[in-house]
Amino acid sequence: MQTPLSSPVPVLRLPRGPQGLSRGFAPDGRRAPLKPEVPETPESPAVHECQESQEQRARAVLRERYLRSLLAMVGRQVSFTLHEGVHVTAHFGATDVDVANFYVLQLQTPIGVQAEALLRCSDIIAYTFKL
Amino acid sequence: MAMRQTPLTCSGHTRPVVDLAFSGITPYGYFLISACKDGKPMLRQGDTGDWIGTFLGHKGAVWGATLNKDATKAATAAADFTAKVWDAVSGDELMTLAHKHIVKSVDFTQDSNYLLTAGQDKLLRIYDMNKPEAEPKEISGHTSGIKKALWCSDDKQILSADDKTVRLWDHATMTEVKSLSFNMSVSSMEYIPEGEILVITYGRSIAFHSAVSLEPIKSFETPATINSASLHPEKEFLVAGGEDFKLYKYDYNSGEELESYKGHFGPIHCVRFSPDGELYASGSEDGTLRLWQTVVGKTYGLWKCVLPEEDSGELAKPKINFPETTEEELEEIASENSDSIYSSTPEVKA
Repeated sequence: MQTPLSSPVPVLRLPRGPQGLSRGFAPDGRRAPLKPEVPETPESPAVHECQESQEQRARAVLRERYLRSLLAMVGRQVSFTLHEGVHVTAHFGATDVDVANFYVLQLQTPIGVQAEALLRCSDIIAYTFKL
Repeated sequence: MAMRQTPLTCSGHTRPVVDLAFSGITPYGYFLISACKDGKPMLRQGDTGDWIGTFLGHKGAVWGATLNKDATKAATAAADFTAKVWDAVSGDELMTLAHKHIVKSVDFTQDSNYLLTAGQDKLLRIYDMNKPEAEPKEISGHTSGIKKALWCSDDKQILSADDKTVRLWDHATMTEVKSLSFNMSVSSMEYIPEGEILVITYGRSIAFHSAVSLEPIKSFETPATINSASLHPEKEFLVAGGEDFKLYKYDYNSGEELESYKGHFGPIHCVRFSPDGELYASGSEDGTLRLWQTVVGKTYGLWKCVLPEEDSGELAKPKINFPETTEEELEEIASENSDSIYSSTPEVKA
């Protein structure tokens, strides 16, 4: 007598993971009323907005510069400083949309050369390349 | 028809998960905190594994983490020689408690008024949460680094485990009451207040002792070196995990192995039952937390029971449904640890 194949328990969805670089604890979350009240310092809305748009512009400029630096890196030899004093070099290929991983070629590691690899950005402390 | 366990993988950590703890049951459900070598302990909704927030501030691996009963406060123990107390609702750091060496364990009293810390400096420290500037009370006596320290007997006593001994201390007099010696390294300790049971793991053994007298109750041998075990709140089952990457479930009364699951890609460091006993969570060297159902196939949290199709005696065809590619699921598929095939949201059959 054949026993029927068991099927996996169905799941509504997968557990939600961390959102990008946010540290979470949504201010409008279910437990928000439990938070101790923080007195707010009143600021005139006009001043606030001006500061905000200045900041926003500065952020946009910095972001654009960073993206251009990534473009400049493509195809070049880059030296990465990783955790625990590890240094590797590779030819930069591409990054993903969140800049969470770098796709590299000819990764020279202490244990050999890897033709293609994904470097996790959270593992990278610093990287340098010559223009 | 038998249903196969579908573990829920909680990703987010980038290094081994070394400790985890559940809160009590609160009006908002129960919560789970995980300690990780990446220095960023995370808070999750206990029944779904959904990430709520990350406690940012430690500058080294976090070795221990705990929540108070109503999940309003969290405490963490880290390799940066500090223990920190956090507001578990806002994620803000409330206190940093400096120690002289790596801190391994933290535990709140039932009323959240005191925090017990312990670590490599071989001292037990008791901090008054209402007087954070005051010096903690210290209890010495251990001759090697303390791995775990827990309040017991209604917070009137303290249990602490170092490499080869487990000691019981009286809180009021700060003196040692009793001790147990082991010839193998003690890997973990869990305290069950209802019934005053102490669960200790060492080598391939899981031992149960009275938390009041330290007298042995029973012990089981397992196929592999066990790093952590947890007893079900109703004391029907226990779960354990260790160096062979598998989770084992045993009948507490008979000692019979009931189920075992592969799934983790590395040794399991910690395993705990939820406060309602409906699921258990495991933390592994592979950087993930997994949630497992105690009763496989039951509708609970994200698991949804589906009635089998009426099939007039034929073999039921295995359902291979591809997951709906929502953003979160795509992320999960791309992540290193996705390994199960999930069926899509089942159609409701009238």
